[in-house]
Amino acid sequence: MKFTRRLEAQTLRKLEGSLFIAPWVIGFLTFVAFPLGFSLYMSFHQVKITVSSVNYTFIGFQHYREILIANGSLLYEQLFPFLRESAMMIPIILVFSLLVAILLNLRFPGRTLFRVIFFLPVIFSSGQIVQEFIAQGEGSLSIMETLRIDYYLREYVPGAWAAPIQKVMESFVLVLWYSGVQILIFLAGRQTLPAAVYEASRIDGSGPWNTFWKITLPGLVPYIFLNLMYTVVDLFTFPSNPIVSMVNTTNYGSSSALAWIYFSIILTFVLLTLGLYSRVDKSLSGSRS
Amino acid sequence: MKIVERGNELATRLYGDRKLRGNLELLRYRVLGAEIDKGLLFKAVVYFILINVAFIYIKPILYMVTTMVKDAKNILDPSVIWVPRSLYWGHLQEASEMLNYGRSFLISVSLASSVAVLQVVSCAIAGYAFARLDFPFKKLWGALLLFTFIMPPQITILPSIMLFKSFGWLNTFLPMVVPALFGHGLKGALFVIIYRSFYSTLPKELDEAARMDGAGPFRMFFRVMFPIARSATVVVVLFSFVWNWNDFYFPSLYMFTAENVPLSITLARMAGEMKLAEGAGEITVYAEAIKMAASFLIIMPLLVVYLFAQRWFIEGVERSGLVE
Repeated sequence: MKFTRRLEAQTLRKLEGSLFIAPWVIGFLTFVAFPLGFSLYMSFHQVKITVSSVNYTFIGFQHYREILIANGSLLYEQLFPFLRESAMMIPIILVFSLLVAILLNLRFPGRTLFRVIFFLPVIFSSGQIVQEFIAQGEGSLSIMETLRIDYYLREYVPGAWAAPIQKVMESFVLVLWYSGVQILIFLAGRQTLPAAVYEASRIDGSGPWNTFWKITLPGLVPYIFLNLMYTVVDLFTFPSNPIVSMVNTTNYGSSSALAWIYFSIILTFVLLTLGLYSRVDKSLSGSRS
Repeated sequence: MKIVERGNELATRLYGDRKLRGNLELLRYRVLGAEIDKGLLFKAVVYFILINVAFIYIKPILYMVTTMVKDAKNILDPSVIWVPRSLYWGHLQEASEMLNYGRSFLISVSLASSVAVLQVVSCAIAGYAFARLDFPFKKLWGALLLFTFIMPPQITILPSIMLFKSFGWLNTFLPMVVPALFGHGLKGALFVIIYRSFYSTLPKELDEAARMDGAGPFRMFFRVMFPIARSATVVVVLFSFVWNWNDFYFPSLYMFTAENVPLSITLARMAGEMKLAEGAGEITVYAEAIKMAASFLIIMPLLVVYLFAQRWFIEGVERSGLVE
């Protein structure tokens, strides 16, 4: 008797939970799973759209072969510079946002004002406005031209890297603009570190420098990886990114194939990040205990 | 040898001078502080960095505002860089005409706010279910939630267009609004994750107490759980509103031939028109000023919203379990 009642309670709980999650699941199936499957289907087909109907002819891996091998230069010319650029942008964004978050966490007069200003990028960076600013040349640092850094770069850095480095330097300010949400995440993460630990380390005579490396940084490791993931996703899905803008309505089949190739690249990066994280986390918790 | 001794003697005499030593100590205390992060030097460095970065963030806005009020004389005058000699509001008027501001503004407001409201409610429900309720295949759905977060919207965009076309929703707002109703839409997965991490920090006893008082699941959610997540809600509302306001990608693909479009689209259309005019040889010194005025008109509402919301927003960021 008692057993069945408990079972009933459990089913009831499951029913309740299912009721709450149902809208999301329905939404997922209609707006995510179905389009996802359909785009996979289209990527293996030649899609012909006529006035009255849409025709699909199965062509196997032809789209993939075309993008990756036969017509590969089209993708690679965009992809590799972009990957190199992101390889430089991501560390800059992470270090910068960590620095700013830690400074903003200090107590000093005018802190609120600075916080208001530093959250401004969250408002702008998603919009057309930033594109407008890039077009106006607001993204570059004027120091670049005065010191003729681009000239030295071209002279001393191997060709494949010089252009991306130059591009990142030119849009350095832009890189800072992209770190709005990252600053937020670090700031929120910094709040989770208990004040008592800092108190204790101060009493033990540890200076701020030491405290940062021994307490703040290890404590922020999860957030560093969260930010890394967010930055990767954000950079790779930004609508103005060169490969994303190649996905358009001119050719449904090959666009879908391109989107899938691109997605598998992103997925690789994210999985790499996650793998790295679990490793770092393990070694950190090992050294702590 | 002798010189060294003499030097030593001199040094000890100098150091022995108590008054000097006291002064030095005081100076050291003032400049470096009892601990590094209390001294003047440290503070100066902090302020230096912060002010510089703040300048980087503010400069484009300043540029926008100052350019937009320059008339022809000020634009052509090379001695005027930042502060124009006179104010001219004509560009604002022209830009607002070109943007069809009144109507597009209303469209943008209603679109962004309805999506934001729907996303808050639906994502809160989903996040709550993920954090505190039990349902079949919970692990699997959690993994799919993460997957949705990582997935670029571009991969589903073409089938979505076809899907919405078959519903007859193209050129309406429904493709943006309806997914929001189900906890998806623009960055919906992120909002679900924010709510999930917020709700998973609350103590288990809260549910039990409410249950004990005889509250049903829906009553409990809307009376206890939803109000309690205020700080997360502030963050989600602001993000959702701002991102939907700025979003250009979805509207440009779902309603490319529509008459009534949000501001982000009208801005792009305006830029296209101006480029066309430029190509046709109509070169005008006003182009930049008008563009800046248009940009200003678009972000001004966001700035106003942000200025009102910033206090709760900053608080919310610290408390919401935005991370966990």
